[in-house]
Amino acid sequence: MGIKFTLDELIVYRAAQEIKDHEMVVIGQGLPMAAGVLAEATHAPNIVIVTEAGIVGLKPFKVPIHVADTSCTRGYTYGCDMVDVFTTILNHEYVDVAFLGVGQIDRYGNVNSSYIGDMDNFDIRLMGAGGAPEFVGYAKRTVFTMRGGEFVEKLDYFTSPGYIRGGNTRYESAMPAGSGPSILITQAAVFKFDPITKEMYLAGLHPGVTVEQVKKEVPWKLKVADKLEITELPTEEALGLIRRYAPEISMGRKLQLEALINQVFRVLSGPQNK
Amino acid sequence: MEKYISPDKLMTMKDAVEKFVHNGDSFVFANCLTGMPLAAVHEVIRSGKKGMMVFQQGGIEEIDLLAEAGTVDRIALAYNFRAGGKRIITPLDRAMKEKRVKVEEFTNFTLLSMMKAGAMGYPFIPVLSGIRETDVVKRHGFFGDNKFAEVEDPFSKQKVLVVKGQNPDFALMHVQRADRAGNGQLWGAMINSKWAALASKKIILTTEKIVDTAVIRSSPHLTIAPAHKVCAVVECPWGAHPCELAGHYDYDIVFRAMYLGSNGTAAGMKGWMDEWIYNLPDREAYIKHYTDKFGAELLDKLRAKPFLSAPADYGFTFTQEWDENNYSTKFGMTMDQFVKHLEEKGVLIESAGGEK
Repeated sequence: MGIKFTLDELIVYRAAQEIKDHEMVVIGQGLPMAAGVLAEATHAPNIVIVTEAGIVGLKPFKVPIHVADTSCTRGYTYGCDMVDVFTTILNHEYVDVAFLGVGQIDRYGNVNSSYIGDMDNFDIRLMGAGGAPEFVGYAKRTVFTMRGGEFVEKLDYFTSPGYIRGGNTRYESAMPAGSGPSILITQAAVFKFDPITKEMYLAGLHPGVTVEQVKKEVPWKLKVADKLEITELPTEEALGLIRRYAPEISMGRKLQLEALINQVFRVLSGPQNK
Repeated sequence: MEKYISPDKLMTMKDAVEKFVHNGDSFVFANCLTGMPLAAVHEVIRSGKKGMMVFQQGGIEEIDLLAEAGTVDRIALAYNFRAGGKRIITPLDRAMKEKRVKVEEFTNFTLLSMMKAGAMGYPFIPVLSGIRETDVVKRHGFFGDNKFAEVEDPFSKQKVLVVKGQNPDFALMHVQRADRAGNGQLWGAMINSKWAALASKKIILTTEKIVDTAVIRSSPHLTIAPAHKVCAVVECPWGAHPCELAGHYDYDIVFRAMYLGSNGTAAGMKGWMDEWIYNLPDREAYIKHYTDKFGAELLDKLRAKPFLSAPADYGFTFTQEWDENNYSTKFGMTMDQFVKHLEEKGVLIESAGGEK
């Protein structure tokens, strides 16, 4: 019998492997927080989790709906504010890894999380910049996850700076030497960035996915690593941790919303029915 | 800036808004994502004020409500939490598409930096220059030339990205406790609260609880809104619902899901706002409507369990110069000897009348 898991659980498991022990990790809401907690519970017990709300050294007990909610603010070690996080922590290069969900991404790892379509007459408005531009700009490494986003030649809106135009252009634009996006994990594959040209290339595939399938999603001529990694499947232990801590991540957005709406109807049908 | 010094600024939400909120004002939320001053937002909307500009760090439902009501027509925005997912058309989306509201995009840090500079009375402040090539910096709307600029660092001669200091007309802020003079104490995620509150010209403060000033004096490190900047204090239990507030209540996800079920259309939004804002006089009535509709049990499930902070001991010996025998260890004399000493040294001045 094989292990049964959802695609989002696979992404959480893969993302958690990007966190090393003793690192300082900036995490927002949702899937990345599940990865952080999984890493801490397994191979990286000494990480320091930070959210931009000014919460440092938190021990979340369930996956937060935002960076300052009830599960972030129980028992953290350093309470500062948002200016402190971006200056005294981020600008001094204490942050090893930042996580970011992606709406659109280009070949140099520049990201749009603001508008799909022209901003003055948009098709879809996304959540906006938030803390992403500075975190992607100044964290030593950034882990991107993309579910439902797209690869594009040109971003509709340039929210966060990856490697700008490739080569050294990122560092010529005042970002710290050696910093930058390290990996993109999608629902199909894993991508990394060439150390010299900084162009994104296909580094690995989730089980059952082919190179041709991935290439169809990418509008430029995608470079492919000589040796592709095959994404490791989550262990029973990891799945147990993810489901206990973050069942909504296991479910994915669609099923979660569906379950919530059903619950609203139950509540609306009156207090006596609960 | 105008000083607000008075031992008692307690008033109703309605009076506070009537007195201190004006058409066309700019304002800022001195909470972000969590503990939002939603009771105050509802009252500002009920007051029918229009044409305002708001600085909003991270919006959830309040930004939708203000856009839908026409209270604001310009928003400086860093982040808009979209709980319903990206394909739901929100009230803010509609207001933007129908050109009722203009949005200027910032990052969390640059928006808050404008507040920090404003709070410190500085004309501008450096931000992290690495974002200079992004559209957040390059594209501007209603801020025009007041959005970002680059200046030369006079020491290193490097180009530095800067933003302008801002001082909004007022801040709306919700806290756990305050005294009647307006010393507001907040704990939990601090995010933007300090800088947004201090940047504003005055703070309209809502609080879960009014406490005696003695409580404030025993915990001054928790005072985020200093009384001299606070123009109005409103006691308002559940003032941040459906947001969470440490020590009081969790976020109300079922209520939020219900709101999200209504906000996709103008008609749905009108129904929701009539029911929860326009047809109710204040937050007390809102909570009563909630418990009438869903039962008190749903609200009770949100109530916080305690997770107490270890008290900070501000103790010293608290001795004055003179001990219980009127003796000073420092000078080696009693109070009588002290007066005599002054006499002998000839530093005492006798009044002209010479009477005792």
